[in-house]
Amino acid sequence: MFAMNSYFSVQYLAVLLPVTVVLYAVMPQKARRVVLLLASYAFFWAVSGKLLVYLLASTLSIHLLGLWLSHLQEKGDRYVKTLPKEARKPAKAKSLRRQRAVMAFAVVLHVGILLTLKYSRFFITNVNALFQFFRSPFMLSVPAFLLPIGISFYTLQAVSYLFDVYRRKIPADHNLLRLALFMGFFPQIMEGPICRYSDTAAQLWEVPSLSWRNLTFGLQRILFGVMKKMVVADRLNILIQNVFTNYEAYDGFVTAIAVVCYTVQLYMDFSGTMDLVIGTAQIFGVKLPENFQRPFFSHTISEFWKRWHITLGTWFKDYIFYPLSMSKPLKKLTSHARKHLGNHFGPLISGSIALFCVWVCNGLWHGAGWHYLFFGMYHFVLILCGSLFEPLVIKVTGILHIRRDSAAYRGMQIVRTGLLVCVGELFFRAEGLRAGLIMFQKMFTDFSLAAFDDRSLFTIGMDKYDFLIVFLVMVLIFLISLQQEKGIVLRESIAARPLAIRFAVYYALILLIVIFGAYGAGYVPVDPIYAGF
Amino acid sequence: MERLIRILEDIQPEVDYSTCTDLVDGHYLDSLSIISLVAELEDEFDITIPTVEIITENFNSAESLWKMILRLQEDE
Repeated sequence: MFAMNSYFSVQYLAVLLPVTVVLYAVMPQKARRVVLLLASYAFFWAVSGKLLVYLLASTLSIHLLGLWLSHLQEKGDRYVKTLPKEARKPAKAKSLRRQRAVMAFAVVLHVGILLTLKYSRFFITNVNALFQFFRSPFMLSVPAFLLPIGISFYTLQAVSYLFDVYRRKIPADHNLLRLALFMGFFPQIMEGPICRYSDTAAQLWEVPSLSWRNLTFGLQRILFGVMKKMVVADRLNILIQNVFTNYEAYDGFVTAIAVVCYTVQLYMDFSGTMDLVIGTAQIFGVKLPENFQRPFFSHTISEFWKRWHITLGTWFKDYIFYPLSMSKPLKKLTSHARKHLGNHFGPLISGSIALFCVWVCNGLWHGAGWHYLFFGMYHFVLILCGSLFEPLVIKVTGILHIRRDSAAYRGMQIVRTGLLVCVGELFFRAEGLRAGLIMFQKMFTDFSLAAFDDRSLFTIGMDKYDFLIVFLVMVLIFLISLQQEKGIVLRESIAARPLAIRFAVYYALILLIVIFGAYGAGYVPVDPIYAGF
Repeated sequence: MERLIRILEDIQPEVDYSTCTDLVDGHYLDSLSIISLVAELEDEFDITIPTVEIITENFNSAESLWKMILRLQEDE
């Protein structure tokens, strides 16, 4: 059977993608849509087999529910227009109640499937632990559902589509094929970005002819992603696996190295995959939203989450944070609190209630485990503290005559944010919450440079050349990021150079992957990390 | 419009609202300021701002905010 487990597999890069591009290039416009959809379902089938039925059911369901909502809206509007002005408000409210009932059904259906498949095992295991604690003879059997690939991503897309129809931001789509492409487009189905219907559906339907610019720009971006994944993320894998699995055997120094390596790995794996995904879409003339904006240049944790996994953050903001904080009870609370606590602390109460819900969802979205919940709560507390103490920090820095816009202060903020992120990732990667806490404690109570002095650090999974290669590539990525922070679009400036220079850059990138890529004997490629969420 | 500028200055005084067109994109208004602003605008102008209106385009400048207020007043 034609199976694959990642966008970096030979089956994807050497078979599915080239075959799709060739078919796309030779087909007339209308048939190109079918090519993309068939490629998408072939990809899904190759990864998840018969579980494709979940994606098909979700697509059909949002199609029908969207049309139902649209029908209710049109019917309600028509009826309201026939009424005198004073009778319109209650009629509008009645129509809205019906639409809300459909929305509630839709959310329960889609989120319910996700919850059942992804969280029932976690939930029942914890219920059984409670039964055991109270010495109850009852035990629930733990289900073993198979998760279709990308369910956490496409469920959010499905819910956002229905919410946007409900809010009249977009009209319900009568075209099932277009909706199917929006839901299942193969480059983004596995790890996002989480797209909005208004961003990608029309683009996917356009299916322009293949252009040289789109093809070369797309391929460059794919190459850059492959480099990040194969040269850095895969090279770090064995060390990370060794230390996180046998955490009790290593001291605080090695633990700290592994934590930093994991943070780098996660960034390189996920942002590398996004480069590949966005590059693939670009070949077909589709501009997917960016998911990263150089997150390690952030000055605060709050800013970090505006630059890391951007489409997940904006999804939570648009469909959880604002709807909650703008709900009637919380709005009243804000108005009341502002009068008594002022403009800074007033909105903080309702804001933090909504923020708490966002971070519970964010933690659990990443996986069914207490350490994921802890990860969410950790970031909730950091962001809340950032807002709470901001006036105090402004006051103290003012008294001490510290310029908050000076390079030194900004640099300190960047380093501090990076360290806080690393600690969060420790709990994120740890084999459970207990393991995470032990590893965190070790970094303070069992810290020595012995592993560096006796060179045992270089025997855990990375020798000194591996460290050197990773370091040099990270310096390269830092320099590229620095240019991007200044607003320089490097690919455009490379494209404007003479042919010889352009090809020198491309060959350098290919050689970097071929020579320094961590593949073959002695390496274990990292599984696509975000695809597991 | 003057009432709106007064409210904005009350929430975030360090901005020139006659020229600034990136209140959200430039991080002058964060999500807490927006919560505060929405509550105040609803009280002051007797409107309801639905969640669907909380988009960057509506909150990026005093002018776009004013247009949204006028539109919502008409809808009420």
